[in-house]
Amino acid sequence: MAASVLCRRTAALCRTLTGMSSSKTVLPSSWLLLQTASYNPKPLKLNLHEPYVPDKDSEKTPEWQKTARYDRKLFGRYGSASGIDPASLWPSHEQLDKMIAEENEWHPPLKVMLKNIKDREKQEAEQRLAKEKLIAANMAKMPKMVADWRREKSETKQKLKEEKARRAKLLSEARERFGYTVDPRNKKFVEMVAEIEKEEKKKKKLMKRRLKENQVAAPVTPPAASSSS
Amino acid sequence: MSFPKKPGGKALDVLQSLPRITLANLRPEPGAKQLERRRGRGQHGGNRSGRGHKGERQRGTRPRLGFEGGQTPFYLAIPKYGYNEGHSRRPQYQPLSLKRLQYLIDLGRVDTTQPIDLTQLVNARGVTVQPLKRDFGVQLIDEGADIFAAKINIEVQRASEGAIAAIERNGGVITTSFYDPISLGILIKPVPFFLRGQPIPKRMLPGEDMVLYYQDAEKRGYLANLEKIQQARLALAQKYGYILPDISKDELYHMLSMRKDVRQIFFGLSPGWVVNMPEKKILKPTDEKLLKYYSS
Repeated sequence: MAASVLCRRTAALCRTLTGMSSSKTVLPSSWLLLQTASYNPKPLKLNLHEPYVPDKDSEKTPEWQKTARYDRKLFGRYGSASGIDPASLWPSHEQLDKMIAEENEWHPPLKVMLKNIKDREKQEAEQRLAKEKLIAANMAKMPKMVADWRREKSETKQKLKEEKARRAKLLSEARERFGYTVDPRNKKFVEMVAEIEKEEKKKKKLMKRRLKENQVAAPVTPPAASSSS
Repeated sequence: MSFPKKPGGKALDVLQSLPRITLANLRPEPGAKQLERRRGRGQHGGNRSGRGHKGERQRGTRPRLGFEGGQTPFYLAIPKYGYNEGHSRRPQYQPLSLKRLQYLIDLGRVDTTQPIDLTQLVNARGVTVQPLKRDFGVQLIDEGADIFAAKINIEVQRASEGAIAAIERNGGVITTSFYDPISLGILIKPVPFFLRGQPIPKRMLPGEDMVLYYQDAEKRGYLANLEKIQQARLALAQKYGYILPDISKDELYHMLSMRKDVRQIFFGLSPGWVVNMPEKKILKPTDEKLLKYYSS
C-alpha cells in the first residue's frame, strides 16, 4: 500500500541520485522499510459475560427499558443472547407504509426533481425574456417619446408666450382707451375685452365670407375660361 | 571474525549494568523547557507588572470590545445586509487538502489498495466531520496538487477541479457523492450504529439545490453518466496538460472501478441488512415488501 508509493518515490530519488552524484553514495536501508501505522481503536465493551436483559413483566423495570427502541439496542449489543426476535428489528407493515408515504412526499424521485428544476428554470427564463422584451420595446419607443415631450414643452412655452403677449396687448389697448392702467380684474376691462372679442369674431366672419366668395369665383372663372377657350 | 557478533554489543552491556531509570536520573533535553514569564517579580517584572501607567489599562476597567467611547461603534453603524442570512443552515464541507491526504498515505494511515471512503478517512483520524453542525461531508482541495503522487480510488462529497486533475493524473479515480445527514452520521461512526440494532437505511437523494451538482460529469458526480465522465476526464487531461493514464490496463482496475450504488452507504452492505456485532453475523430481511422498499 504505502510501499508502492514509497517504491515509486525511492525509485525517483535513486534516478536523481545516480544522475547527480558519484558512485560512492549508498542508499540507507531505512528508506526501504515499510512505513505502516495503525490506529488504536477504543476497546469495544460488549459485556457479553454479564448481559443485562431487563425483565419485561416486572413493574420495577423502568418504562423506557420496555420499548422497541431499547430492544433493538439490546439485540445490537448482545445478539441472540438478548432473547429478542430479530424479525421485530425491521419496521412492521403499517410503519413501512407510513415510511413509504413520507418518503414519497418529502423525497421525490430523481426524474421528478429534474423535471421540477427544468420547469422552474424555464419559467424564470421566460420571465426574464418577457421583461427584457418589454424593456427593449420601451427603449425603441424612447426617441419618439422624447421628441414628443420636447415638442409639447416647446408648445406650452409658446402658448404661454402668446398668452402673455395677448394680455400685454389688451392691457395697452385698455390703457389707450381709458387713459390709465386698468386692473385686469376690473369690470370695465372685462367688458372691453368682450367687445374686442366680438369685433374680432365679426371680422373673422367677414374674412371667411370673402374667402368663400373668392373661392367660388375663382373656380368658376377658370372653367369658364377653359370652356370658352 | 569467525564467531558471530552479539546483536547490540557494548550498548546492551551498558544498558544492563546501568541503574534503573527513576525521576532522579531524568532530565529534560536542553532547550525543551522554556521558563514561564512571571509577572510582579524582580526588577523588570515587578513595579506595574506590565500593566502600563494608571488609567483603565492598569486598573483593568476597560470597556467591552468594540466600544468607541460613546460614539456609535463600527459594528452598529454599518447597516445590516443579508450576507450572513441563513449562514447556520448552509451546508458545510470539511476541507481535505491533497497535501494532508499524501501525508496520511505516506504514514500508512490510509490504505491505498482499498477504495478510500469517508469512513476510512475518519478511522485514520485524517478529518473530523460533525454532521450535527451542518457538515455534509468532506471537500477535496488542490493544495499540494503538485506533490501528490498516489493512485487511489477516493470518494468525497465535493472536489475542486485541480484536485480532480491531480488524482486522475496519477491514475486514480475520484467520485463525488451525496450523504444525507443521517447517512453521514452512520458513515462516520459505523460501529455505534451497528450496536443500535437498526437495519441499515437507504441513502436519500440530494435535494433540488444539489442534484445538478451531482449530475455533472465535470464534478464526477455519482449520478452522472459514465460516458460523459470519461469525456470529462479526457477534457480535463487536455486542459491541465497531462496524459490520462489508462485505468483498464491497471492491475488494480477492479479496485479502482468499485463504486457504491446510489442507495448504498457501505461497500458490501446493502440497505435493509442488520449487522449483529457480538456474533459477527448479518441478518437480511425476507419479506417482499421490505425487500421492495429497501431496493427501490
